[in-house]
Amino acid sequence: MSQRSVKSASLRLTVLIAGVMVLVSLGGLWFQYAQVARAFDARQIEALQADLDGYSALYDQRRIPALRQAMAFRAETQTGYDRVFLLLDKQHTFLGGNISTWPDGVETTAKSFTADPVQWFDYTLPNGRRSAYMGVARDLPGGFPILVATSLAQREALMADMRVTIGWAVVAMIALSMAAGWLVSRLVITRIDRVNRLADRVATGELGARIPGARSDDEFGRLEAHVHDMLDRIESLQNATARLSDNIAHELRTPLNRIRQELDQVQGQEEVVAALKGELSDTVRVFEALLDIASAEAATGDKPGLVPVNLSELCVQIFEFYEPMGEDQARAMTANIAPDLWVLGDRSLISQLLANLLDNALKFTAPGDLVTLTLSHSDNRHCLTVSDTGPGVSDDIRNRLFNQFERGTPAHGATGHGLGLALVRAISARHGAKLRILPQNKGFAVESLWPKVDPM
Amino acid sequence: MTKPSILIIEDDPVSAETIAGVAQSLGCNTQVDVTYGAGLSAAMGGRFDVIIVDRMLPGGDGIDAIAKLRGAGSNALVLVVSALGRAANKIEGLERGADDYLAKPFDGDELRARIQALLRRVRMQTSDNDLLVFGDLEVRLKARTVHFGQTHIKVTPKEFDLLTFFAQNAGEAVTRMQLLSEVWNLHFDPGTNVVDVHISRLRRKLEAETGITYIHTARGEGYIFSPTAPEAA
Repeated sequence: MSQRSVKSASLRLTVLIAGVMVLVSLGGLWFQYAQVARAFDARQIEALQADLDGYSALYDQRRIPALRQAMAFRAETQTGYDRVFLLLDKQHTFLGGNISTWPDGVETTAKSFTADPVQWFDYTLPNGRRSAYMGVARDLPGGFPILVATSLAQREALMADMRVTIGWAVVAMIALSMAAGWLVSRLVITRIDRVNRLADRVATGELGARIPGARSDDEFGRLEAHVHDMLDRIESLQNATARLSDNIAHELRTPLNRIRQELDQVQGQEEVVAALKGELSDTVRVFEALLDIASAEAATGDKPGLVPVNLSELCVQIFEFYEPMGEDQARAMTANIAPDLWVLGDRSLISQLLANLLDNALKFTAPGDLVTLTLSHSDNRHCLTVSDTGPGVSDDIRNRLFNQFERGTPAHGATGHGLGLALVRAISARHGAKLRILPQNKGFAVESLWPKVDPM
Repeated sequence: MTKPSILIIEDDPVSAETIAGVAQSLGCNTQVDVTYGAGLSAAMGGRFDVIIVDRMLPGGDGIDAIAKLRGAGSNALVLVVSALGRAANKIEGLERGADDYLAKPFDGDELRARIQALLRRVRMQTSDNDLLVFGDLEVRLKARTVHFGQTHIKVTPKEFDLLTFFAQNAGEAVTRMQLLSEVWNLHFDPGTNVVDVHISRLRRKLEAETGITYIHTARGEGYIFSPTAPEAA
């Protein structure tokens, strides 16, 4: 997993945790806000009802005159407009109250002196201020409209205060939730990240890498322990493979050496002895190449085994090593090698790769053909190409050419063991170089793209 | 002059016998040990000029002994003769202090050439000669130039290295694998005659400038540098 997606996973987790916390808290706050609003409304309706009960008692006693008297008295004694009340006659002439005009849009709907149904309306007060009210309006018998209402200003001020408080609480909660979410996601992601970093190191070939420190006694600790067990197993298998190839080498070469020494004791059959020695050398060479291929493949991606190598210098050196042979065989050899291009590599293996490619080119071309070694520099890789103007290879062989024991047809009867290009492929893979056969109109060309490092 | 002494640490009797035979034919005293422990204590205890050691010995890897020997102050030159014969094994051996590395199965002539080269180095350790002279032919090591009488022979840097290695081992056979590792620093067998091509060029160049054949093809797999020894050619 890349660092970027780890980060985004951490971000996602933080946002998720914070989001859930904020939503739950917002739900709670909204519920409380609604409760307060409801409770306040209920209290106001109760107060309104108390007023109405008073007016009802007066009306029952002495009808309209009592109401007029009471309203006149209240209008005189009450300061402000927390309560408004108004009594009109049939012609809608003012009879009593602390406001003079009937509010627009208010219908007389109530049947008795009960606070149900209540109506909400805005009203411009005699002092010029417009305010919201909740009240009851009814027609008293004989066509006398009466209005009793209570101001909502206090309620609105209280609810506005509460909204501001809730707003601040939400801001604080989001901040706290983000912090808590970040903390939780850090804890989780850091633990997962330890395993990811280990996996990255192992992927680059550092098979011996382990997570330092003690394992915790939880799921993460168990995950780390399992990964370690797995790596131990892989490492021991790889070591066993390496030991096996050493043992094969020892067990095969020692008797071959005895045969070789015994051959030196044979007298008088020089031709047979020479032929047998040749066979022995070939056997050892094939077997050595197979071990080289196996070992390069086993070490693929194993960066700790590699050191900075000046690929340009090495190309020049191996090219100059083969150039006289090319001239002797009447091949034209050219090299276009960009200077000072470095790779992370194993000098000996890269030498062998270059030698195999040039040797192949010389082997599969005819006098007069051109063999070219090119090393150039592209955006993020060094491009190494060995091409020739020989007969090339047929399409059916082309795809199998990097396989072991796959042979082309040498131009002048020379034979190989069919492992040269397989070794080239294994060495390329060992260095993370991308290898391919270039499509050619004429001849054969192998391109290998090397991960570059900065010059030393 | 006392005979050079060679310690052979080798558990395979046929190899040990062959190595001892070659060393004795070069006029050396030999001692053979068959285990890592016995070999190491012999090497620590005795004064040997050259130690020839196997790798997968009963008791340990011969290469591990080199550091111990050097730590104990031994100047003996070490030739590893081992069945671990891939380029990577050779490089590991040389990097860990071996002076030369020969893979099994080996050719008797190759072994002889390697031992001779080491014995030559033992003798040369005492002399600090900048100049190698063969009649009129002079190889100047510091200036990296070659002269024949008053004539300066122009050689490429690689030809100079090749000629120097030949001259330092004058009169003795040197093999292609020796040249590959000493002159080109390559530890694998290219499997073609690419080394021979370089040698015949140098030989022709020297012949053209001096009229003398210095480099002769030796019986088996190698060459001998000698201004006066056509008997090996």
